[in-house]
Amino acid sequence: MGPEHIVKVEGLTHDYGEVVALRNLNLTIPPGVTGLVGANGAGKTTMLRILLGLLHPTGGRSLVMGNDPELDPLVVRAQMGYMPEGQCLPKDQTAADFVSYAAQLAGLPKREARRRSSETLFLVGLEEERFRFLGDFSTGMQQRVKLAQAIVHDPDLLLLDEPASGLDPAGRTQMLQLIRRLGEFDINVIVSSHVLTDIEETCSWVVMLDAGDLLRSGPLQNFEKHGTVHVEVLEHGERLAQRLTNRGLGVTLEGVRLVVGPGDETLEQAIIEESVAADTGIVRLTRGSESLEDLFLAPQEVTE
Amino acid sequence: MTNQVIYDRGYRKYDGPKSGPKGARRAVYNDGVRRVLGLGRKARMKIFPWSLITIAVIAAAVFIGIHWAIGNIDESLRQGIPTYGGLFDFYSAISLLFIVLAGPLLLIPDRNSGALSVYFSRPLTVDGYLGSKVGAFATVVGAIYIVPQLLLHLGLGLISDDGFLRYMGDNIDVLWKVPVTTAAFVGLHGAIVFILSTAIGRTGIAAAVFFGITTAGSGIAAGVSTLSFPGADWVSLLAVDQHPRIIRDFLFEDTVEYPAEAAGFEVWASVVFILVLVAIAAWFVRSRYRKLA
Repeated sequence: MGPEHIVKVEGLTHDYGEVVALRNLNLTIPPGVTGLVGANGAGKTTMLRILLGLLHPTGGRSLVMGNDPELDPLVVRAQMGYMPEGQCLPKDQTAADFVSYAAQLAGLPKREARRRSSETLFLVGLEEERFRFLGDFSTGMQQRVKLAQAIVHDPDLLLLDEPASGLDPAGRTQMLQLIRRLGEFDINVIVSSHVLTDIEETCSWVVMLDAGDLLRSGPLQNFEKHGTVHVEVLEHGERLAQRLTNRGLGVTLEGVRLVVGPGDETLEQAIIEESVAADTGIVRLTRGSESLEDLFLAPQEVTE
Repeated sequence: MTNQVIYDRGYRKYDGPKSGPKGARRAVYNDGVRRVLGLGRKARMKIFPWSLITIAVIAAAVFIGIHWAIGNIDESLRQGIPTYGGLFDFYSAISLLFIVLAGPLLLIPDRNSGALSVYFSRPLTVDGYLGSKVGAFATVVGAIYIVPQLLLHLGLGLISDDGFLRYMGDNIDVLWKVPVTTAAFVGLHGAIVFILSTAIGRTGIAAAVFFGITTAGSGIAAGVSTLSFPGADWVSLLAVDQHPRIIRDFLFEDTVEYPAEAAGFEVWASVVFILVLVAIAAWFVRSRYRKLA
């Protein structure tokens, strides 16, 4: 049985002089793929660096896989993989050499490091290019190498800082597919991104930051439960709309199409009950989930 | 027709041994040596270091050949041919070229490429990283001094009229004098080049400044120290390149009088100068890298 949570943060605060990067954060992150979402400057990278033990918080504490990165940074780092947002690849090394070196830095024996380097580069789709020098790689290929070096040593927790940054749409899609696959391999991942759709596509848990404050933290389903339901009826749309409004639900009516909600999982049942009472036939009933962007732009109280 | 299937190898878990910080330090050391020697790099990165290594080894062979040829003519003439101490001047010239390559190459590309963010996300401390870099530097540059001297030592033993073992016994002091002199050269030059490679972001500029300090800077300091003004004697110590040579002369044989010696300083002043410079370099480089990590 795995741990209940991979990260626990209590009163975490960090400032750069007068600029507060993180303000009294309290949250837990369960195993799986977690999205750390927020605009540029929200404090995402600061939080990742604190979890790595590279940055000391000015207040509060964090536990990563049960260890305090401030007290035992090397123990924590030995369990983690990190893909930085910025440039981090030496141009004068081949992809195979660099990823192998990254594995040896994590303590793997040389022979095993070379073998895993090949396997990992295969996994990220760079088997053919692994003996090319990194200076000759495109941005998309470099991002894949960055991911490969982060997972080559089989970390328990992987931190990805804006992994799809700088990629074209096709490259972005492929990177997100790779991240989803990591979750399937039982690697715990924290993905930082300011692109909300990336998080929606890859993560099961979401942490939202805004200017150093925690907006929300919870499973992605909880976010979706608060979406709207799209209804198409045969006739008497206005009658159904009236009954739903009387029930205290928000309704937008356009002919025979209604948008009801937002609401939780009981919303569909309420619509069915009222449509029976209004003597109208339902043609289509689908939940249109509220996007993370909607939630982000309309922040609510902190939830766990 | 056969049924062909492409298997997705997926991701293999690793449950073998991990050597932690020790393995990380070893990896940085090995990568440093390989980087300086151009191993695993493009061909043009190999040309310069391997040319210098070839010259150093060939020079040792040539010196042995000269000793052998002259000794066959007249044994007494061999006294005038430089041996261990004298060869340090020759090898320090080669090592200066090597240091110009090695020092900046060990530190600057890691910073410029942003790779430090990956390295320090591993179980690796700043001290571990820098210690491994210093180790790689000392290994390669030290080898430039010691390996040819070792070849020379073995060669002179083989051509000695007294026999190999007798020669080895009579010259046993070489086995500690050469490493100590090498340490003086590597310590002084290493301290300077590590400070420069930390403060400067371009390898070419760092190399040029290093050359300037060790050649022109030393010459200017030596010249100024001969002027008559209060404290002129102390300026003589700033001719940095003289210090390992003063130690070399102390251990082997006197060749010339260096500015610090002319100003009345003993060999211990040179030892202290090198140690203080190494301490300053360690403090400066460490404090800069702690901010970067």
